[in-house]
Amino acid sequence: MTEYIGIAVVFAMAGGVAGLMVILSSTLGRKNPTAVKLAPFECGKEPFSLPGGRLAIKFYLTAILFILFDVELVFLYPWAVVYRDLGLLGLAEMGFFLAVLMAGFVYAWKNGALDWR
Amino acid sequence: MNGVSTADLALLSPELILVGMVLALILAAHRIQRGPLALVGTIVAAVASAAAAAWVVPADGATGFGGMIALDGYSRFFEVLIAASLAVAALLSVKSLDGDRVPRAEYHALLLLASTGMMLAVSSLDLLTLYLGVELMTLCSIVLVGIRVDRPASNEAAIKYFLIASFASALLLFGISLTYGVTGATDFAAIGSALRGRSSDPLLLAAMGLLAAGLAFKIAAVPFHAWAPDAYEGASAPVAAFLAAGSKAAGLAALGRVCLVALGSEARTLSMILAALAALSIVVGSIIVLSQTSMKRLLAYSSITHAGYALLGLVAGTPEGASATMTYAGFYVFMTLGAFGVVIALGERGETLDGFQGLAAQRPGTAALMLLFLLALTGIPPTAGFVAKFGVILSAVRADHVALAVLAVICSVVSAFVYMRIAVFMYMKEPLEPAPSRFPVTVCAALAVTALVTLVGGILPGSLAPWTVPP
Repeated sequence: MTEYIGIAVVFAMAGGVAGLMVILSSTLGRKNPTAVKLAPFECGKEPFSLPGGRLAIKFYLTAILFILFDVELVFLYPWAVVYRDLGLLGLAEMGFFLAVLMAGFVYAWKNGALDWR
Repeated sequence: MNGVSTADLALLSPELILVGMVLALILAAHRIQRGPLALVGTIVAAVASAAAAAWVVPADGATGFGGMIALDGYSRFFEVLIAASLAVAALLSVKSLDGDRVPRAEYHALLLLASTGMMLAVSSLDLLTLYLGVELMTLCSIVLVGIRVDRPASNEAAIKYFLIASFASALLLFGISLTYGVTGATDFAAIGSALRGRSSDPLLLAAMGLLAAGLAFKIAAVPFHAWAPDAYEGASAPVAAFLAAGSKAAGLAALGRVCLVALGSEARTLSMILAALAALSIVVGSIIVLSQTSMKRLLAYSSITHAGYALLGLVAGTPEGASATMTYAGFYVFMTLGAFGVVIALGERGETLDGFQGLAAQRPGTAALMLLFLLALTGIPPTAGFVAKFGVILSAVRADHVALAVLAVICSVVSAFVYMRIAVFMYMKEPLEPAPSRFPVTVCAALAVTALVTLVGGILPGSLAPWTVPP
């Protein structure tokens, strides 16, 4: 456990200093808020905002199709690594797997999911 | 490690047949959106898969895929049952598919895939394949519930079901991971032997509770039942029937195998959890059902009550108790499909309780069928419902859960009030609506099959006994 003491000290000091700063500035500091001062600065965007503009639904469909087929293809990598050990049956199984995948692809194509209209 | 052998693939032949038909339906989707081809394909696949489950593997069963999948007497019984409920649900769907604009090929493909998941769940010997099967079943069921995309109620039901089902899956997965943490295994036999001779462990208690809760969601046992009435009401009636029959049977089968094989040595603790689930389901289900006026909600609460009765067999924790639960599941599937079948056959009129007023004067045959299914759901001889209920209550008494058995009998009297009220409506009231039109021949066929099983099961009480082989 002794090797962790250093880390614990760093955590304690970091937390202590950061907490102290926040407490000091909120208790001692003068408060004179204006709209500009209260706006978030340096650290990102407005915390509350309405979604601006519309996004075409076809991007959504394309993204879903991409994820669908992309994730399935990940299975090809482990198969390729042990390809020689699996032999002919492994090849047949991967062929079947791809055929099933292609069935889904054909279905998506026939239903016009790939038409950019 | 070698590839999968053909002996392993033979164990999955029922599932593979269904998946093959799914692929065919998906590829031919554009050509079969009209006409009965999708239905015919589904029925053929269901029959072939039941035959494969019954005959491909020798009678004493076999395991494969490194001990992850078994096709033994237990999974064989449930696979045939699931195939039967798939076929009946597909036959019942014809009428509602004509009314709603539902794409036929996709609808039947989803029914088939959901059944594949159920079969995988009942034949798995490993928590992970069990989870995979249950999840496949649930995902397809969610899409089926929401498949009438132009109806807000259907969408709402699907979203509710989705949220609650994902919550249930999280519980189930957490239970699986805790079980793995305690025993170092996910396969049932290894979990069983790791638990034997161990002192009790709070972590194991949590694991069992979470597993039971996750699977109780699937069979809609109280307090994990809230999704069922909403999902059934929003879904089209055949989908609700399929959920009430198939997914309940699959959930019970999975729970039965987990309880008996994996957690067999913890039977005392487990039976307390199951007894609580059973008692709550029976009491809450049979009280809330009293106030229902929508037939789908009524049958949903009835299915919750029946989940409780079916759990009575598992409470005992013995092979005989598991057989009683199997008999219960087997007969319950047919009687609930039959009751839903009459509701479907009557169309809009069958959706509400009032629609049944004076049915006997207009359609005596239909009213008699409904009466048969209602008697079976109440548990009155000479229907299969009596045999089923007698078996599970007997097994509860034998396991010294006399209080639970008394509670079950009292509550079946309470719920008899609801079922008999429908009978009174049919036989002793004047008709409010014009007589229903002729039923499609497929719906008649489904009603005939379910009525036959419900009657024969009651007249020959031991007729299922040779097949109800506990795990």
